[in-house]
Amino acid sequence: MSTLLGDLRAFAAAGAKEFRILRRYPTLFLGFLFWPIVLPFAYVLQARGFAGDSAEASAAFASRAGTSDVVGFLFLGFAAYMWISMILWGPGTALRTEQVRGSLEALFLTPASRLVILFGPAFSQIVWALYMFGLVGAAMVFVFGIHIGLMEALRALAIIAVSVPALYGMGALFASVVLRFGEVSALVQTVRGVFTAFCGMTFPIIVLPEWGRAVALSLPPTYLIGGLRSALLAEADLVSLVPDMAILLATGLFLCGAAVVAFRTTERYARRGGRLAQY
Amino acid sequence: MGDQALELRAAWAIARKELLTALRYPLQLVTEVAQPLYQFLIPALLLGASLAVGGRAIGLESMTGTDNLAGYLFLGVVVGGMVGTAFWDMAFSFKREMDVGTLEQTWLSPTRPETFVLGRAISGGLVSMGASAVLIGLGLAFFDATVGDGLWLALPALLLAMASMVGIGYLVASAVLILREPNFFVDATNFLFAMISGVAFPVAVLPWFIKPVAYLLPTTYAVDLLRVYALGTDPLLDPALEWLALGILSSLLIAVGRVVFRRTEHRMRMRGTLGQH
Repeated sequence: MSTLLGDLRAFAAAGAKEFRILRRYPTLFLGFLFWPIVLPFAYVLQARGFAGDSAEASAAFASRAGTSDVVGFLFLGFAAYMWISMILWGPGTALRTEQVRGSLEALFLTPASRLVILFGPAFSQIVWALYMFGLVGAAMVFVFGIHIGLMEALRALAIIAVSVPALYGMGALFASVVLRFGEVSALVQTVRGVFTAFCGMTFPIIVLPEWGRAVALSLPPTYLIGGLRSALLAEADLVSLVPDMAILLATGLFLCGAAVVAFRTTERYARRGGRLAQY
Repeated sequence: MGDQALELRAAWAIARKELLTALRYPLQLVTEVAQPLYQFLIPALLLGASLAVGGRAIGLESMTGTDNLAGYLFLGVVVGGMVGTAFWDMAFSFKREMDVGTLEQTWLSPTRPETFVLGRAISGGLVSMGASAVLIGLGLAFFDATVGDGLWLALPALLLAMASMVGIGYLVASAVLILREPNFFVDATNFLFAMISGVAFPVAVLPWFIKPVAYLLPTTYAVDLLRVYALGTDPLLDPALEWLALGILSSLLIAVGRVVFRRTEHRMRMRGTLGQH
């Protein structure tokens, strides 16, 4: 019991440390304020350019996307995109930074569980993710006049909550790659590219070819984005969201388990070869 | 050999050094093509597909005079790549030098500091041109993009735009030297500059308070002329006026950029803050 409590304290401390580092670099806060609004807004302008004055084009979008609300559709897609980017860069980059700073070995010598090292830095990012979704929600409501009621917001929060294990499991898998190869950038770029091309951040996945849709449906972000849009734009009830949430949860459990196994294996490899701090 | 010729030789030597370094990281070169493809082109093309009627971009056609969505976007990326060269290759490279601690050494050489910007403009421009050629090739081969023979008529516009980017490079480099932690500044202004120029969408859809800014950017005219000649789009202004604006803005930016860069550099030498970061 005392070990568990100790680990929980270490978990909170790891999160607090990351938050403190973030506070030291105020320009990062500007980025958190700027990108969640400006990036999707650029795509809103693009959609306006592609729709032109054509009512037919707008109707075609509505029939494919299930909503005529292009602004909400794009803002939600990009909120998910930015959260995923944060996670993909997060745990792997945190370990890499410890390697570069020369503090990774000291960290591994502490009695804290490896789970703390693996998931601790990601803990602080949940706060940022909630902030970002809050900011996007506020922009949708107050700037673009999209109605979001309390129940819709709670359903969206439920979708975000069940996505946490799947997305952070993926992030933790990337952390294992850092220990094995000492570099994560190329892989993060590739995976982010796959998500951008298939998961429907700027488009309904129905426009993809059949094989593309199959790829999309095998990736957790597709269910996160689809769920958020259903909850907030189509006002879907919680029961109709259960299948997507179940898939997210099951994928999350699998990915977290895989991440723990991969991390233990690569840690053993790194310790045997004396490669822990090499980069 | 005159001073100017010596500086040009130095600029070419800097460009060769940068190109040699780039060749040492082939994965980074792949990213020059892959990143615009997955981060911008594919999401934009799929957004366009979700607004298409009977497979045609009729909305875009009503705004610009062409339904060639892929051609429209791939040509936009050519100018977007140039903007990226000014912000990241010319300007942000000073931050990289600050980080590795070689900025003061290089500036102690007899080469003028602004020649370093020019050298990186040459290397960055060559890499950007190569990446653009590959992207256009991919667009033609796999994304149903088509471009007309008129593309060649727009090449002088691209050269003028590249020259104006040297001016922008000077201005942004000045900001990089002052800010010391310029990552967000460079990233955000690069994005805004490219978007307001209309690389991703017609300038006509910009909010009214941003539209005048678009008319002050040389890249707006470069990308518009490129699309007018290669795709037959409706021009923003009379093409003759666009050529004139592009020429004037490019000359002005180079002149202003050089003055600002020289003053910034002089101020930093006086204060002894050159190597601080």
